[in-house]
Amino acid sequence: MKNYDKILNDLVPQEFGKRGVIWTISLLVLIILGIIAYIDQVIKGQVVTNMNDYALWGVYISNFVFFVATSFVGTVTVAVLRLTNNTWRTPIVRIAEIISVAAIIMAGLTITIDMGRPDRLLNLFIHARMQSPITWDVIIIPTYIMVSLLLLYFPLLPDFGLLKKYYEEKNPTLSKWYGKLSLNWTGSDAQKTIQLKSIHIIALLIIPVGFMLQTIDAWLFSTLFRVGWDSTNMGAYFISGAAVAGVGALVTVVYVLQKVYKLEDYITDYHFDKLGKFLVLTCLIYLYFNLNEYLIPQLTSKKEATTHINVLLTGQFAPLFWFVIIGGLIVPVVVLLFKKGRKPLPMFIIGLLVVLGSWWKRYLIVTPTLLHPFLPIQGVPEEWRHYFPSLHEWLITIATLAMALLIITILVRYVPIIPIQRTADEQEELELNKSTKL
Amino acid sequence: MRNQYITRHIFLMVLSVFLCTSSFAQKAKKDKVRLKANYVKIMNSEIYFDLEASAKVDGENVNVSKVELVIYNVVDEEQLELGKATTNMGGKARFKLKDLSSIKPDSTNTYNIEVSFEGNESFKGASKSLSFKNANIDAKLVTIDSINYVTATLVNKLTDSIIVGQSLKVLVQRLFKPLVIQEFNETDENGTILVPIPEGIPGVDGNLIIEVVLNDSDEFGTVKALVNAPIGKLIVDESTFDERTMWSPRNKTPLFLLILPNVLTFAIWGIIIYLITNLFKISKS
Repeated sequence: MKNYDKILNDLVPQEFGKRGVIWTISLLVLIILGIIAYIDQVIKGQVVTNMNDYALWGVYISNFVFFVATSFVGTVTVAVLRLTNNTWRTPIVRIAEIISVAAIIMAGLTITIDMGRPDRLLNLFIHARMQSPITWDVIIIPTYIMVSLLLLYFPLLPDFGLLKKYYEEKNPTLSKWYGKLSLNWTGSDAQKTIQLKSIHIIALLIIPVGFMLQTIDAWLFSTLFRVGWDSTNMGAYFISGAAVAGVGALVTVVYVLQKVYKLEDYITDYHFDKLGKFLVLTCLIYLYFNLNEYLIPQLTSKKEATTHINVLLTGQFAPLFWFVIIGGLIVPVVVLLFKKGRKPLPMFIIGLLVVLGSWWKRYLIVTPTLLHPFLPIQGVPEEWRHYFPSLHEWLITIATLAMALLIITILVRYVPIIPIQRTADEQEELELNKSTKL
Repeated sequence: MRNQYITRHIFLMVLSVFLCTSSFAQKAKKDKVRLKANYVKIMNSEIYFDLEASAKVDGENVNVSKVELVIYNVVDEEQLELGKATTNMGGKARFKLKDLSSIKPDSTNTYNIEVSFEGNESFKGASKSLSFKNANIDAKLVTIDSINYVTATLVNKLTDSIIVGQSLKVLVQRLFKPLVIQEFNETDENGTILVPIPEGIPGVDGNLIIEVVLNDSDEFGTVKALVNAPIGKLIVDESTFDERTMWSPRNKTPLFLLILPNVLTFAIWGIIIYLITNLFKISKS
């Protein structure tokens, strides 16, 4: 029982300290700046961006693809590890679920930001053409948001029940809220049966839905018959890339939360070791698809493809391209192959590198292709030949990233980041096993 | 020492005045615009002036866009404004006339047009004069010994007399630009040409549109007659307009795309609704 109390005290959501308040205020400032920039964009139109007739998808779409990719963490870590009964998943699944929810909500918001006339959003539904992958995207994003929310919520029910009791005397208002959120959870057999059955269904459901989301996102590009996008490899390429982005983000957030909330007893080196191996696997798979994506067009040497790839390999996008490939994929694989590389701090640095690489990778998927249309660029202003986001675009993009972090921050503040009930149950089971052996 | 200081200041002042005035002078320098104007008459159809503005900027010929050109009808040294046209990104503009009766000829029955550009911040003003007489081309399709010909007669409309020795071009309209069938065909003593049309030219529903053109004549401008000739090789229209395709509008979506995504969507949302009802069950149990 003492052990149980310790777990409860360790894992209940903690109030922000000084650093937490500064962090939240900083995020709010970035968000406000982004909102001001967005209001200006809505008033003046997308003329405030550096998008043009050629680069008609810019940093907003890159950012959207990044969010969609990151949201895949819910599918890979939670569902796959749950269905394969990997017990080491317990302390990290909740964090993965939180990242997944934050990322997919922001993906939905970011795509709206990219619209020149957001007031016509409803037209996407009213005038939808089933032939268009954009329509499929419009359907799949709310679906994934819903499934991700359910995946986060169902396992939280017992913890909300515990928190209701925990705060009964300390903070009755909070206790009341947790009580409502727990849906009168008592831990009865009937409730447990429905809950476990539901979690199992969601875990099964989120895999095809997650794969659909990533594939549709890929098809938005590959159905456009453009050099660099027109590839049958694209669906698998996006899924593997999403796994890298998702696990990279997970590693980073897990490290930060472990340090901030002093969870070393629960998130141990063992978990980082496992996550490190997982990240290596995803990076290797993604490297393989990158090889397919760039090597074959280079070997077959079609004029447009060669021009496009040369721009990436040796042209104006080369520094970014090699940073993404070497910094975002090869270095993580090499470092994480060593046991010392899978310790928390190196893992955190590698996680940051992977996330940064993943973000710029989406920029490289979107921009260079758009700057290489089939028809020659003639009779247009010189600046249309190049694209780099404007101040408005940067402010808005940074604000969306800050919003994602704010969602994570708020959820971390009010939701146990490590499942309390499950951790306690596992601990009890472990002790029972020990005593049985003795 | 003090003198040296004053000298330096005077030198700097003179230099800055020089630099300011020279940069101002550079900005004030305007380029000269060249105007081109062509009169085009399509028989039984529209009459218009094709206008073009260009300039030599830094030794390079460029099209001058977004300049306003005023079109005048000049009659006995009097200028009657017909209207205005603004050049597009390619430096071109087209000014349509309702018909020739909307402008007046001079005493020699020549129509005189002047296109004028007032000038702006970057370019000096310019003007271009254009004179032409009214001519007609009467063209038709004839079949002689199973061979199809296009015959055309060039007539001076004013005197109602035929025009001899003018070269007419015969073309067939294609998707992007007309294809030349015969380039130089001088009108004979009857003011007529007779040009055979080769067999096997493809046309939608077997229809060809033959153009007979008096091209950019100094006296008559450009006059064009169009002849509908149902003598082309039949093109079978492979339009998928009425079919359900990936590129059709939403009411012609392929059935598999209507069925499969909708089945998937309803199935997934069915499960989601079931899961939400489970939340209610948990709440009540």
